Amino acid sequence: MMGKFPIFDRVKKEGRSTLTEFESKKILKQAGIPVVETRLAKTSKEAVSLSQKMGFPVALKITSPDVIHKSDSGGVKLSLNNATQVKKAYDEILKKVRKQYPDAVVHGVSVQKMIRPGTEVIVGTTKDPQFGPVIMFGLGGIFVEVFKDVSFRIVPINQRDAQEMIQETKGYPLLQGYRGKEPANIPALVEMILNVSKFVEENPQIKELDLNPIFAYAKGAIAVDARIILE
Amino acid sequence: MQCKASEADVSSQKRKDLSLFFEPQSVAVIGSLKEGFFGGYVVVKTLLNAGFSGKIYPVNPSYQEVLGLKVYPSIKEIPEKIDLVLIMINRQSVPDVMRECAGKEIKAVIVVADGFAERDEEGAKLQNEIVEIARKAGIRIIGPNTAGIVNSANGLTPDPYEPGYEKVKSGAVAICAQTGMINPQAFPYADLHYGVSKICDYGNKCDIDECDMLEYLESDPATKVITMYLESIRDGRRFLKIARKVTSKKPVLILKSGRTKEGAKVSASHTGSLAVNDQIFSAACKQAGIIRLEKFREFFELPKIFSLQPLPKGNRLGIVTFTGGVGVLAIDEGAKYRLSVARLSPEIAEKLNAIFPGLGKSVVDIGPPMVVNNSITIYSDILKTVLLDDNIDCLLNVIWTSPFEEVVEEYLKFFGELQGNYQKTIATWIYGPSIPLINDMASRMEDLGFPVFSDLEMAIKALGIAYQYSNQKKGEE
Repeated sequence: MMGKFPIFDRVKKEGRSTLTEFESKKILKQAGIPVVETRLAKTSKEAVSLSQKMGFPVALKITSPDVIHKSDSGGVKLSLNNATQVKKAYDEILKKVRKQYPDAVVHGVSVQKMIRPGTEVIVGTTKDPQFGPVIMFGLGGIFVEVFKDVSFRIVPINQRDAQEMIQETKGYPLLQGYRGKEPANIPALVEMILNVSKFVEENPQIKELDLNPIFAYAKGAIAVDARIILE
Repeated sequence: MQCKASEADVSSQKRKDLSLFFEPQSVAVIGSLKEGFFGGYVVVKTLLNAGFSGKIYPVNPSYQEVLGLKVYPSIKEIPEKIDLVLIMINRQSVPDVMRECAGKEIKAVIVVADGFAERDEEGAKLQNEIVEIARKAGIRIIGPNTAGIVNSANGLTPDPYEPGYEKVKSGAVAICAQTGMINPQAFPYADLHYGVSKICDYGNKCDIDECDMLEYLESDPATKVITMYLESIRDGRRFLKIARKVTSKKPVLILKSGRTKEGAKVSASHTGSLAVNDQIFSAACKQAGIIRLEKFREFFELPKIFSLQPLPKGNRLGIVTFTGGVGVLAIDEGAKYRLSVARLSPEIAEKLNAIFPGLGKSVVDIGPPMVVNNSITIYSDILKTVLLDDNIDCLLNVIWTSPFEEVVEEYLKFFGELQGNYQKTIATWIYGPSIPLINDMASRMEDLGFPVFSDLEMAIKALGIAYQYSNQKKGEE
């Protein structure tokens, strides 16, 4: 049986439940959720040409279902500004990962455009044993980690729910442009929350989903990192 | 340890119709008939005392007669049809009695007996066994581990504990809980002047649960407001769906325990059920339009604003008080619920100023004119005038009793006349130098349909949730 997203079936067939960042972003993009441009390179040459097309600076990340903690294993290189740096980074990433995970299946190295940091927010979903899929919104960084400043709703949600989720967080004033900071585009966040809700509603095989961080700007919002875990 | 009915089971049974439980023509009581403060004897006695309109069949092999009624050795021996059975025997014997009930084609059973999923592994097994028997026979169960139910309209108060009073006062508040602390022995329902329609302690919820009760009460004409205490939810999604539907017709107020990890742990051993993540439950309440309560006291106090008063049309709060200080506190408190202080219309302000110079302000302070007049008769003129103001949606009514009974009588005469002749939501707080006088006035005012709250904050919260609900209903239109 092929669903709307064949990746889900393929991942299951391979006996895994966690999608790689690259796979996750690819699906999310198809679902209409804005994600940072991310392409997969199989060779260093390919990585260089992709980054040239995308424009510097770029980030390179190992793409392997067997490497969960990408940065701890030396699988991430940020702020690469030219072709030489990209080529070097590609080779180093593969060398380090191969050394630490000799048996790892490696899909390649993802090339991502480094974008200007915005206000960090997160959107996630999980499954509650009694209520089923629930969606969460919060401000990133210490707000979520220390203050647990997050709001929840049960999927599916409507526009008002999404709006209230944002307004309920204590950090909401920051999103409105506190002390001259760039405000976040609330309608863009509302749309993103709604699309995520719709996406997990339509794909019940999703156990967890994380968009962390999302960069929110005055003109829009975009997910920088993403992770999907299946049942 | 919880026995859970699958979706298919649920839909195959008649979910909504719990009328056999609340409007039975006949009740069989299986349990000890020894005199005391707990057991079958007490149930028979409370049913008789409350003037239960149906037939009562006590069942016990060791008795011939109790309280003037013939006692049957077993369910089988009862010659007539039985609508409802109450089981109060030790847990091991419950499955056998359930089988007898199945043989007698009984469809509604309340298992008062405890020691099931809430106690241990063996209890959980027994609970599963009785659910199995019931499902095959199409029997619906309330309990086990329940103190039962009440219908105030027909005298159905099969309380296994001695309440010490005869009747539960009839009213429009339905009370449901996962505990017997709401049943007649635990609460002075004869003295609670707002009155209740139905009470249900669903205990371990092995079959009938909060969702079934919500659905039943949704279409119960006697019930205007539903208040619920929950420790757990059996099926979150079903709960959300049903609650949404019910709240569009009647307000639903929920007090939920297990907010802390420690609390959730104790709840699991209390009724043998799974705890709910509190933040997620809060989200569910918001999405379903449920008013979430925070304190036990609110559970009994706040529903009466809905059962006795009309809904406010907006959030403009009028204040009539004998003390200005309280007025300021009320404004602070009201802001929590988005109540804003009403600006009196010029016409009404003028009328009030004519009664006493400077009276026509947002906080109508009766203190000064009362001192000058040396009488409280001025109060009724002022309240009547304020109630005419179109700029006011709801009113905080703060009354000083004075130490004199005749003053209280005067107030009550006025409220008797006012009854039914106003459109605004009125919440009253009474203070004064004598507790008996305050209590007397409060209960008599509630008899007249004016809810009185235990303190200022509670009165404001009552208006706050009334506004919340009316606003929510407006949004749905």
